[in-house]
Amino acid sequence: MSDTQTLVTDDAEEPAASTRPEIPIVPPRRWIKENLFSSKSNGVQTVLFSALMLSIVRWLLSLIFAEASDWTSVTTNMRLLFAYNYPAAQFIRVWFCLGVIIVAAMLTMGAWNAKPEFSLRKMAISTTAGGGFLAVIWFMCTVGFGFAPLQKVDGMSSGLRLGTFLLAALLIALGLGVLNFVHEPHKIWIKFTTMLFALTGSVLGFLWLVPFGRYEFADGEVINESGTVATSTKVPWTYMMLLLVGAYFVGRWLRQFIPEANYRMVMIVWWIVGPSFLIFHVLRDPAFDMGYVFRVDVPMALAFGLGGGALLYALAKPGRGEIARAIGAVLLLFAAYNWLTAGLGSGHLFGWESMLQKARITFLMLSFAVLMAPTFSGEPAARRRFAYGWIGFIAISHWLITGINTPSTLDIAAPPFLGGFVLTLAIAYYVFLASFPLGILMALARTSKLPLFRVMATVYIEFIRGIPLITVLFFFSIMINLFLPNGMSIAELGSVFVGYTLFSGAYMAENIRGGLQAIRKGQYEASDALGLTTVQRTLLIVLPQALRVTIPNLVGQAIGTFKETSLIAIVGGFDLLRIGNSTIPAQSVFQGQKRPALLFVCFVYWVFSYSMSRASRRLETKLGVGD
Amino acid sequence: MIAPDTALTPEMAARDDIITCRGVKKWFGDFQALHGIDLVVKDREVMVVLGPSGSGKSTLIRCINRLEVHQEGDIIVDGIELTNDLRNIDKIRSEVGMVFQSFNLFPHLTVLENVTLAPIWVRKKPKAEAIDLAMALLERVGIPEQAEKFPGQLSGGQQQRVAIARSLAMEPKIMLFDEPTSALDPEMISEVLDVMKVLAREGMTMIVVTHEMGFAREVADRVVFMEDGAVVEINQPEPFFTAPESDRTKLFLSQIL
Repeated sequence: MSDTQTLVTDDAEEPAASTRPEIPIVPPRRWIKENLFSSKSNGVQTVLFSALMLSIVRWLLSLIFAEASDWTSVTTNMRLLFAYNYPAAQFIRVWFCLGVIIVAAMLTMGAWNAKPEFSLRKMAISTTAGGGFLAVIWFMCTVGFGFAPLQKVDGMSSGLRLGTFLLAALLIALGLGVLNFVHEPHKIWIKFTTMLFALTGSVLGFLWLVPFGRYEFADGEVINESGTVATSTKVPWTYMMLLLVGAYFVGRWLRQFIPEANYRMVMIVWWIVGPSFLIFHVLRDPAFDMGYVFRVDVPMALAFGLGGGALLYALAKPGRGEIARAIGAVLLLFAAYNWLTAGLGSGHLFGWESMLQKARITFLMLSFAVLMAPTFSGEPAARRRFAYGWIGFIAISHWLITGINTPSTLDIAAPPFLGGFVLTLAIAYYVFLASFPLGILMALARTSKLPLFRVMATVYIEFIRGIPLITVLFFFSIMINLFLPNGMSIAELGSVFVGYTLFSGAYMAENIRGGLQAIRKGQYEASDALGLTTVQRTLLIVLPQALRVTIPNLVGQAIGTFKETSLIAIVGGFDLLRIGNSTIPAQSVFQGQKRPALLFVCFVYWVFSYSMSRASRRLETKLGVGD
Repeated sequence: MIAPDTALTPEMAARDDIITCRGVKKWFGDFQALHGIDLVVKDREVMVVLGPSGSGKSTLIRCINRLEVHQEGDIIVDGIELTNDLRNIDKIRSEVGMVFQSFNLFPHLTVLENVTLAPIWVRKKPKAEAIDLAMALLERVGIPEQAEKFPGQLSGGQQQRVAIARSLAMEPKIMLFDEPTSALDPEMISEVLDVMKVLAREGMTMIVVTHEMGFAREVADRVVFMEDGAVVEINQPEPFFTAPESDRTKLFLSQIL
């Protein structure tokens, strides 16, 4: 076996290196003739539907401009819409979080070496089309057709009209110029860095050159004082855009020094842990009692981290699987007993019931980790990684739990410190993050060979899928505290999150089950024939493939989750929709003005949903799911 | 009834039995796929199993590493009896390599990761050592330069050679080949058979289900002919192909040759 004699020398031909596909070029006139006026009926349809679309555009324009002055209700309330009643003096924390997220996003692009390129021809076509759309807007607001559904729209100011006209002319000239005078534009690809600079430049130019007027609003009064972080957007956004560009290059630069796998792992861990850090430690700002932290929290974390790490390192040694399972089972029983005694409040058996909640949670986690030890067993380096992973997990989870349980310095009148779009994003993020493992577990259980798991998962999934989300939310916002052990309670938003996660998890499970079914039987047989255990087969072979197939559906579900967070408005959360629909119309200055705020809310939801779906399409092509 | 040790040379007969099947019976629902198979495979023997489709030859070798579960009879692999005991199954599977008709490479892993996966996770080898072993094996099957590619980027013959390297990475005592060349284009069959021939010459114990008569004739120590879930004839390749004893073997050979 050891000699390295080459058995076969004649090699089959290598598959041809993939090249960029040629885009067949059709001149615009022929394209219009072939696609819009290929026959008489086709021509009639084109004219009719163009008229219909024009009238829809006109209707939208009339919505936007008919009450031109009313947009002050949105511009004034920007802060409210995005962060609700977060104290103005502390607003720099919100910007800090945004900055961190922008930096992380750009570093992530660096880690995956993402530098999407854009075909000049496609860009030119989009530019022309955008200019054309602006021209239509200008036409409808300035001239119009003069008859019923296509009349001129009143209310657009002359300055805005001029600006629209100039911008439309510029875009059309630019687009057509490129298409007609640049040689073979479809073969020219614009680099991502160029796009990044262009984007930054246009956003900054837009911010500093276009007069928005000054609308600030604090505590029910319109104010005109400007320049602070809380009341201005120009200055912070300028910093954000600079961060965006800077972080992208830093990310690319870091690639040279950090091994790709480590870099990616750091970014993945950040996206799982980082947002919690921002929410609970930056936005909420806990006031630590350092004496208590050093007396109780740090020693406890050290004991669990180091003790648990040593235990895991010892148990992950190959051949100790049996002992590990036995110890894991004992720890699991102990942890369960701890939760039960807390729940029943049944007294003083060994004094364990007084154990801190954090210790209880950690014990449960430790028992799971010990049960997983045989799967991660291996050479000392691998076992050390496993142990370090546990220590890192303890450090992060204890830090967060301590932070959450510590009183906040934040001076907010109403209890939830999250509101507006920040709340929408936070709920969507956490629900997706938590329902993902839940969905995977339930999908695996439903396809399991063990009838008990199968029945449990099926009952859960089918039960939840038969109930409307809003019912689940009502139920959990009222009922969950009744089911919790004595002395435990969850804030209203927490219970909404639990209910929504259970709901989302059921749908996630069905999506993932679809992916599991797409895996061929041969993959299971090959893993079995190699001697992989069931857990290894699931984690290394089955799930990676199943999830890859499921990506389009998962992104669809993420978008759905994001949009349906609007339902938490009904059970008491002050999210983006509730502020647009109830809070702003209730302000004395903007009494009853719903339309602009709701249009704006639509726009925000749409921008985010559409970006997500575009990003997922890119991801699909990159992973080759589409073919 | 054919004695399981029919047609063994005296030298071969003196070796240890590495696989023993005694009265193995297997049903798929009402359909009986194996009607009591008795077979002995000697250490370092190359056994080729022939037979028309549906004769149970694939089922038989899939029973040997328990991808299928037989209902009656005994199968003993390297002294370990196949039972429902999970530890026995894992032990046998890590000593028995299997190559499938449809390759069954893991499409989301590179060629190198395909080959190193089991040594790292099952044999618990250090990663560097596993990579060295994998590269040596890829060299042996003639495709070290494809290590960083994904299976989908390789030709069928290359994929099957990777699959062989993946099985060899577990350093098995026995290799099972389930029609390894049936899914390949004709011009790629020889590159896979060449790898298998060298393996056989180096003394690997192999059971090969195949329709490649040339391979059987050149490499096999014994040829087994199966039909309708039973062993019809066992013989050494020369007499098997030139002077088959049973009428059914004659018919099969006349149809195929």
